[in-house]
Amino acid sequence: MRGGRVAAEDDDRLREADVLVEGGVIRRTGPGIPLEDGVEEIDCSGKILLPGLFDLHVHLREPGREDKETIRTGSEAAINGGITGIVAMPNTSPAIDSGGMVQAILDIAFREARIPVLTSGCITRGRAGQELAGIGGMVEKGAIMITDDGDPVENPQTLRRAMEYARGFGIPVACHCETKALSGDGAMNEGRVSYGLGVPGMPACSEEICMERDIRIAQMTGAHAHIQHVSSAAGMEIVRRFKEEGVRVTCEVTPHHLLFCDEDLGDYDTHYKMNPPLRSREDCARLLEGLREGCFDVIATDHAPHTDFEKSLDLASAPFGITGLETALVSLYHYFIRTNAFGWGLLVKRYSAEPRRLVGRAPAEIAEGRPCELVVFDPAAETAFTREFMRSKSSNTPFLDRTLSGRVEMVVVGDAVLLDRREERP
Amino acid sequence: MMTSRKDLLDIDSLSTEEIGHLLESAAPFKQLLRKSVKKVPTLRGKTVLTLFYEPSTRTRSSFEVAAKRLSADVIHFAVSQSSVMKGESVLDTVDTLQAMRADYIVVRHPAAGVPNQIARHTRASVINAGDGSHAHPTQALLDAFTLREVHDNLAGLKVLIVGDILHSRVARSTGRILWKLGAEVGVLGPGSLIPAGRPDFMTAFRNYDEVFEWSPDVVYLLRVQVERQREPFFPGGSEYHRLYGLTDERLARVRAKRIWVMHPGPVNRGVELADSVMSYERSLIDEQVENGIAMRMAVLYWLLPETVAGPREEEET
Repeated sequence: MRGGRVAAEDDDRLREADVLVEGGVIRRTGPGIPLEDGVEEIDCSGKILLPGLFDLHVHLREPGREDKETIRTGSEAAINGGITGIVAMPNTSPAIDSGGMVQAILDIAFREARIPVLTSGCITRGRAGQELAGIGGMVEKGAIMITDDGDPVENPQTLRRAMEYARGFGIPVACHCETKALSGDGAMNEGRVSYGLGVPGMPACSEEICMERDIRIAQMTGAHAHIQHVSSAAGMEIVRRFKEEGVRVTCEVTPHHLLFCDEDLGDYDTHYKMNPPLRSREDCARLLEGLREGCFDVIATDHAPHTDFEKSLDLASAPFGITGLETALVSLYHYFIRTNAFGWGLLVKRYSAEPRRLVGRAPAEIAEGRPCELVVFDPAAETAFTREFMRSKSSNTPFLDRTLSGRVEMVVVGDAVLLDRREERP
Repeated sequence: MMTSRKDLLDIDSLSTEEIGHLLESAAPFKQLLRKSVKKVPTLRGKTVLTLFYEPSTRTRSSFEVAAKRLSADVIHFAVSQSSVMKGESVLDTVDTLQAMRADYIVVRHPAAGVPNQIARHTRASVINAGDGSHAHPTQALLDAFTLREVHDNLAGLKVLIVGDILHSRVARSTGRILWKLGAEVGVLGPGSLIPAGRPDFMTAFRNYDEVFEWSPDVVYLLRVQVERQREPFFPGGSEYHRLYGLTDERLARVRAKRIWVMHPGPVNRGVELADSVMSYERSLIDEQVENGIAMRMAVLYWLLPETVAGPREEEET
């Protein structure tokens, strides 16, 4: 790979370097590597090479809603977006709440997916919030995290026992923070915008109260709590405060909470409906600041596919969630990296290295002797997010039919080229 | 002549000029209603479809009378929510209804934003007849029209809106139009129904003593849903009446200060108002009903559907 610039964790300067890959391993990096016989040369001039991304929060809908997504289509969507590893959420139907289910998911992933698909398991059986799921059995079969994502564990004693139990396996307990009695039948952030639209609201404190509770239980139990999709500035400050106190807590932010706010719902577009909801414009700006300050450990999409029919319902009836795997990298490039809001070093750290560490895997790195797991990104090209572009079964994203700067040109894992868009011209 | 719009979805999107134009043009229609021949041929050959996902005899009848006085054909389409949830979306229904070639669709729906979705989906003119807690623009227009009959200029007029400011689409739309026309808008009600997210122009009062000190020109009472409270917003109808209702005692002060009283109907006697309010000489409640027809005629007359027949459309049939 000749003439590209290489991105690395924590380093916002791109390093000009050729990359020689042989047998799926990076043999050399550095300027002016001589071309040997029998080696294919890929022109990467003007391109950026970055380690494959890793998404810690993905809904694959298999089993149960294969009309929305499958392990195969979801993992292909990830590749399409420059992501080379994903973690499945367990809120399928039936839920992933036993060793057998974990085994079944990983078997399908082994057959169908071209990238590592890891899975989380439920905290409680059937995500019902009552009995503990077979956590030990799930970990034995390969689950790397437990969560009832989509719902909080409403009973704090149940959460406490789950955290105490999970601590022994060294896996994080991922928390969807929501106080259901406060969020009720809300469909968006509660505030001026929801009042004007006449749409039932979900106040930010619904999320913040549960977050505070969950982290305090983690503090008491010594478990690792991972706070999913933080959406409000006050919530972010809660995590920051507990981190400063030394509690084992990590947290994630989604691209959509960085990019959009409740004002984007002005036209009742259900592609802006998700849970937790888009908060105020000020929250949105402060989350970006928090990301730059290191408050968020990881960026994760909460990729949530839904059918066109469901998203054509009215705002109150349509389901929560938008897709994200295919748009995350390009949109973060278009809105933040291109405008110098943050650099490639932050992106690689938060969307490639840290999420892998969080689930106990070695970060991907473009360095000599490391397995090849990289993305060739063309900052001068554009991506048109048409339905034809999407490899997900669903297209419920605000970016549908929009064109942004930047394009994932190649994805290479080991000695396999998983995506090659060099010949495509817009 | 003011340029027409395709749809009437809310008050927010109307300019003050458009509001002024609509209020002006309702007056001749009101004259018409008092003549022996109450019908004009303006919309002959046009079809008005009323699509109601929520029962409302009053509003639907008002639109029906307005449309018929303009010589339009009227089709009623009532949809129960239960059939909707069985896999047919509102937009599916609208697709089906396209076959009826309606030029105007009058929509009422319990969910906010549905008229906006329909408007984007059809060439017919969409009139919002009330969507959830969002908007009720023809109510707001008729309220402004009614007030202009007793006050030439609404600038500086003080209007108190009493009741469920949290859920009421009338509070949102009527409050907004009065503010756009220069009136001052106060609100009064149980604290749980006066949301922090309301617009800045809605000044909240805690009780009638504060209200009378402010000295409003109009008290606009909202219908209170005592029986349909899904959560305990306030203790009950009698406490509501005692604290926020227009009681006989308060009516005396209202009468002494020559304050106008309005209500979008239907009224809950003994909750938001005492029975005696119905015969109060400055009650505008009956005028609101009559003006509703004239105002809706003006709206139908003003809107311009994109259904004007062209060659392509003839091919389709």
